[in-house]
Amino acid sequence: MLGFIIQRFMQAVLVMAVMSVIVFCGVYAIGNPIDIVIPPEATQEIRMEAIRRLGLDRPLYEQYFIFISNLLHGDLGRSFVYNLPVLELIGGRLPATLELVLISVISATVLGVSLGIYAGYRPNSWLAKTIMAVSVLGFSVPSFWVGLILILVFAVNFGWLPAGGRGETVKILGVAWSFPTINGLSHIALPAINLALFKLALMIRLARAGTREIMLTDTIKFARAVGLSEGTILRRHLLKLISIPIITVFGLELGSTLAFAVVTETIFSWPGVGKLIIDSIGVLDRPVMVAYLILVAFLFVTINFVIDLVFALIDPRVRHGVVA
Amino acid sequence: MTYQNFLAPMAFALSLTVAGAASTQTLTMGVRGGPESIDPHFSALGPHAEAAKHIFDTLVWSGIDLQIEPGLATSWKPVDEDTWEFKLREGVKFHDGSDFNAEDVKFSIERIPVVTGPTTTAIYVRRVASVDIIDPHTIHIHTDGQAATLPNDFIRLFIVSSEAAADFSTLETASAGFNSGAAAIGTGPYKYVSWEPKGDLVLERFDGYWRGMGDWEKVIRKEIPNDSSRLAALKAGQVDVINYVSSVDYLALAKDTNIDSVKGDSVYIMNLQLDQRENTPLVRALDGSDLDENPFRDLRVRQAIDHAIDRETMVDIVLEGLGKPANQMMPPGFFGSSEKIPMPEYSPAKSKKLLADAGYSEGFEVDLYCTGDRLPGDAAICQGLGQMLTQVGIRTNVNAISKTVYFPAQARLDYSMFMNGWGTLTGEASYTLGGLAHSNNPEVKLGAYNRIEYENSDVDRLLQTGARMMDATARRATYEEAMEKVMEDKAYISIVQLQTVWGAKAGMLQFTPRFDEDTLAFFMKSAP
Repeated sequence: MLGFIIQRFMQAVLVMAVMSVIVFCGVYAIGNPIDIVIPPEATQEIRMEAIRRLGLDRPLYEQYFIFISNLLHGDLGRSFVYNLPVLELIGGRLPATLELVLISVISATVLGVSLGIYAGYRPNSWLAKTIMAVSVLGFSVPSFWVGLILILVFAVNFGWLPAGGRGETVKILGVAWSFPTINGLSHIALPAINLALFKLALMIRLARAGTREIMLTDTIKFARAVGLSEGTILRRHLLKLISIPIITVFGLELGSTLAFAVVTETIFSWPGVGKLIIDSIGVLDRPVMVAYLILVAFLFVTINFVIDLVFALIDPRVRHGVVA
Repeated sequence: MTYQNFLAPMAFALSLTVAGAASTQTLTMGVRGGPESIDPHFSALGPHAEAAKHIFDTLVWSGIDLQIEPGLATSWKPVDEDTWEFKLREGVKFHDGSDFNAEDVKFSIERIPVVTGPTTTAIYVRRVASVDIIDPHTIHIHTDGQAATLPNDFIRLFIVSSEAAADFSTLETASAGFNSGAAAIGTGPYKYVSWEPKGDLVLERFDGYWRGMGDWEKVIRKEIPNDSSRLAALKAGQVDVINYVSSVDYLALAKDTNIDSVKGDSVYIMNLQLDQRENTPLVRALDGSDLDENPFRDLRVRQAIDHAIDRETMVDIVLEGLGKPANQMMPPGFFGSSEKIPMPEYSPAKSKKLLADAGYSEGFEVDLYCTGDRLPGDAAICQGLGQMLTQVGIRTNVNAISKTVYFPAQARLDYSMFMNGWGTLTGEASYTLGGLAHSNNPEVKLGAYNRIEYENSDVDRLLQTGARMMDATARRATYEEAMEKVMEDKAYISIVQLQTVWGAKAGMLQFTPRFDEDTLAFFMKSAP
C-alpha cells in the first residue's frame, strides 16, 4: 500500500515538472508579457526597466531555475498583473469555484444516475425515451449558448433569478461560502444548471448502458430467484456493478470542471479560478499560469488516486488484487 | 400593545424611509475591466486609472475632451528652463480628515518608481529629477532638461496621503496595504470600502469632496468582462449603467425603451502601418516569389493604398455607423491636430494607376495583421481593408489575432503591414508623434513604438524642437506641421476614429461621454 502511494506521488511530481516546463517554454515562445500591457508613453529605457524588474531579460533556463528554487522554499511567485502572491490570488477565488462545481457535479450525478437507471430498467416506457432524447440535447448544445439563453429567459425575461455574480456570503471556518444563504443559492442556480447539463447527459447515458447490460446477467436472475425485491436488487447489486465506469467519469469530470469551468464563469461573471486562468493566459501572467497549471496537474493525480482507492473499496476483486 | 401604540412609531419609520430615500441612492455600474490593485501607482492601464479616479485625485485634471484643466494643482508655470512651479489647491481634505499639502505631492512622486508594476506608471514622472517644497501649497519640480509637456504627464499622477501610505510604499507592502484599506486614503469623491481582484469595488460617498457632493451615497463597480453578460445584467436590472456596448447590441438597444444608450467619440484611431525596412518578411509577388525591393518604400504604392480605402463604407457598413473617417492620428481639435490635412479621396482608379506607375501593374501579395479582441470593430475593419486592397490588385491575407500574440510579435518586427488602434490619452501630439513618428532613438527617448523604421529627418527635427518649446502657441504650430508631414508620407495611414457606447436604465442618469472612455461615477448625475 505504501509503495502504491509513493509511486503515485512520484507520478504527480513528474507530471507537475513537465507541466511547468511546458508553460515556461510556451510563454517564452509567444513573447514578452510587457509588450501586451505596457502603456504607449513608455520610452525604450522604461520598457527595458520593466522587463528587468520582472526578471524577463535573463535566459530561459535561468528564469526556470529561479522559479524552481523559489518553489522549493514554498514561494510560488507573485502575479505580474496584481503583484499579489499567486497562492493568495488562487486561494481567494477557489471557494467560489469549489462550491459551484461541487453543487453542480454532485446534483448532476445523483439526478443523472437515477434517471439513467430508470431508463435502463424500463427501456421501452415513454419516460425513458423522453429522458434519452433530452440527454442528446445536453451533449450537442454548446454551454456558452445555453448559459446566455438561461440568463435571457430566467433573469431578463422573468426576473426570477439574478443574471450573474455571486450572492451573499457567510464565513465558515474562516472562508466565505455563499451556498448557506438563499440569496447565494439563487446566484448559484443558473451557472450550476449550465455546468450540470453536459454531465447530466453523460451520467444518464452511462447509467442506462450499464443498467441494460447488468439487468440481463445471471447475477440479477439469481437474485430474483432468491426472492429479493426489485428495490433491493437495484440498490444492493445493480448500483455497485455499474459504478466503476460511473465513478471514473465522475472523477475526470470533477477534475476538469474544477480546473476549467471557464466558459460558465465568464458568462455568469462568477468570481472563480477558471476566469482567473483564462485572463492570466490573455496577458501572459506567467507566475499565475505556472502555479495554477501545476496545482491542476496535482489535483488530477490526486483525484485519480482517490478513485483507485474507491474502486478497491467497492470492488472486492480489485481490493484483493492490490493487496496481493 | 394595542393597535394605536404601533401607529406613531410606524409613521415615524415611514417618514424616515421617504426622507432617506433621496440621499441613500446606490449606483451600480457594470464595467468591462477593473483595477489591478487599489494602489493607484501600481498600473498605468486605463481601467485601473478609471477606478483610481473614484478614490484619488490627480494633480492635473484631464477634461472631457482630454485637454488639461486644474485638478489638485490650480495653476502651473515654468520658472526657468528646467523648473516648473505648481500652485496647489487650498482647503482640500483627505478621507481621514487630514489636509492635502505639498508633502503629499512630493511623497506621491517619489513613491511611484518604487512601487510601480509592469504596466509602469514611472512614465508619468519620467522627466522629474527632484521636487522642492516651497510652502504647503507651492512646489517646484526640477526636470532633466526642458520638459514642455510636464503638466500633461501629470494627468495620471495620483496623489496619496503621505501619512497613510508611509508604511506601505515598497513593492511587497504596497498592494496589501492599499487593498486592505489602511493606505487607501485619497482626496477623491468616494471612500474605499472593499475590493477583490476581478470582483466588486464598493465605495461610499465622501461628503467633504472639494468639487462638491456626488449624487450617489454608495457606488458599486462590478467587473463583467463578457459583453453579452454585461448587457444582460443591465437588462435584468442588476446594474444601472454599463460601458462598451458592442455595435451589434447598440442597434438592438435603439428599440429598447427601457435602456438609454449614450454614444461618444473615442480617442482611439485605427492606423494602418507600412513597414519601411529594405527587406520586409511578409510581402511577395503573386506567384509566391520574392520581390526585388519592398514596395512600401515607394510613396506611390503607399498613396495607392490610401486611395483604395473607402472610409465612408468602413464607418457605415463595417462599424454599423459607430465611427468617423479619420485623416490623421489624433481626433480633430486636439493639441497638434492640423485642420490643413485633407480627407483622403477614395478612388480605386487612382490606386491602380499609381501602382502601375510604381511598376506593380500586376499587383503583389501581402499578409495583413491586426488585433481581433482589443477594440470594437478591429477585426471587422481588418477584413474590410483586406477586401478593399485586393480590389486594386494588392492581394491581402487577413490575420486578425489575439492581442496576446500580436503585440509581442509586432515588437519583434515580425510584420510588414499591420493595423492597431492608438489613443492619444494625454490630448496632445508629443504622445502620439513622439512615440510613433520619430525615428527609434533611445538616446533622445523618442520613437519607442516606431515599429516600421519610419524616418523623416524633418519630422525628427520638428518633434525635438517642439518638445523644448515652452510657449504653447509656438509648440502647437510646430506639432501641427509635424503631423502634416507625417500624414503626407503615408507610412501611417489613419482610417477611422472609433465611437463608444454606454447603456443606462432609461431616465435614470445624465452624463457627457468622455474621449478616453472613462466611466466616472461622480460625473454621472441623477436625471431630474
